[in-house]
Amino acid sequence: MSGQNIFDKLQNIDRKVFYWVLFITLCVPFMFPLALPIKVVKNTSDLYDGVTGANIEPGDIALINFGYGVSAWSECAPGIAVCTKALFREGARIVFMGSHYDVELTYNKLRSDAAADFAGKTYGEDYVFLGYFTGGESAIAQLATDAWTVYPEDHFRTKVSDIPLMKDFHGWEDIALVLSSDTGDVGSYFLRQWQGAHGTLLAEIGIAMNGSTDYPYYLAGNYFGLSIGSRGGAELEVLIGEPGEATTSMDSINASHILIVIAVILANVGYIVQRRKA
Amino acid sequence: MVFAITGIVTVLMFVEYFFFPQDWIVASTVRNWSVIILNISLGLGAVRLIMQHVMGTQRRRENWQFSALFLVAFVIMLFTGLAGYLSTGVATSNSVYNWLFNHVYTALGATTYAITGFYIFSAAYRAFRARNVDASLMLIAGCFVILSNAPVGEVIWSGIPAIGEWFRFVGQVPGMRVFGIVGALGTIAYGFRALLGKERGFYAGGAED
Repeated sequence: MSGQNIFDKLQNIDRKVFYWVLFITLCVPFMFPLALPIKVVKNTSDLYDGVTGANIEPGDIALINFGYGVSAWSECAPGIAVCTKALFREGARIVFMGSHYDVELTYNKLRSDAAADFAGKTYGEDYVFLGYFTGGESAIAQLATDAWTVYPEDHFRTKVSDIPLMKDFHGWEDIALVLSSDTGDVGSYFLRQWQGAHGTLLAEIGIAMNGSTDYPYYLAGNYFGLSIGSRGGAELEVLIGEPGEATTSMDSINASHILIVIAVILANVGYIVQRRKA
Repeated sequence: MVFAITGIVTVLMFVEYFFFPQDWIVASTVRNWSVIILNISLGLGAVRLIMQHVMGTQRRRENWQFSALFLVAFVIMLFTGLAGYLSTGVATSNSVYNWLFNHVYTALGATTYAITGFYIFSAAYRAFRARNVDASLMLIAGCFVILSNAPVGEVIWSGIPAIGEWFRFVGQVPGMRVFGIVGALGTIAYGFRALLGKERGFYAGGAED
């Protein structure tokens, strides 16, 4: 180890050093926020345009699927909160449901994040929470044709026949648009069973990792909009004019991304110099 | 028998898709069955999981302590959830269940996901080396895409987001399209082979290799 020169050392920095450097770097923006401007990309603005203005009429029903758990709140929840606020402000009614077992926690978080908008709305008339469903793609297909068989009751065990909003929702033809927010495949179930089969308007609010899978569908027009990761959530917060969790997290994203690039450059400087010497 | 059932269900779904633009009660009923069967499989999975961990604990297999911990957690969540469900019809009405979910599960879930950031950081440092032209190109593209995802990229240089988007849309999307189309064609071919009895894999009723 003592015979190592600076370039050897650059290539072999202990991972524990990186962990500490990253930890400290992530802490700094909390004390000294950078608040850099956030540029909105087209796929995000298309999503926002789709849930506002002339694209949504008062009384239209939107279906929002929570396909993510607690672990993906930072990436998916801000986008869902903005879209919920926007839809409520347009007078739309919303049906919430979820394919993740901790869906109730996510629903409660949304109610807290968009508390002011929920406050003016009546449960059962303006919005309903159907809760968790199992059955994967078969259930999504069945939801398109006969929603009441998938959800005979809402999450709070009220029969759907007793819920005013549900009297207007029996299948795909009653839904103006679907927003699916996922860490996995549920968005593609809606893509095949709703958008592909019936032409329902569909948008995806996914984790950053799903971006590469979702882009081709967005460019082909299958998704009318796309929000990708925390960055997408921050862009939506910019569009609605209410900075929130995602905007705050952008400082950490800035710090961590810069740090990764610096680390990669350092490693490669060491590697290239060593290779030339050899 | 497996081929017959699979074949009938396939024909039903094809017929509904092409000839019934609204709802066809026969196909709808079959779909409901599948949802019910999938729900049953969820319960079956839970039973199998318990059996596995009970055996692990009884026979003191490697890491049996984790199995014991799993069983304790399972029993606590099951009974607190059932208590809430039996009293009000909603599992989350039980305060203990709620507390565990909100203050243990939530924190653990968020932490587990966040920790991956540290591993990715370390892995990027170790793996991204310009060993040849291909690796160098990937390295450059990766750096631009990383920086274009963060607002700081544009602050460093206004061209970074444009280059990052170019890599994302022009460089990456065609590849993903190819994956998607090839995967779909492969699934169709696999389905036909399964229906014709030529596919002997697990999904066609054969043994798992």
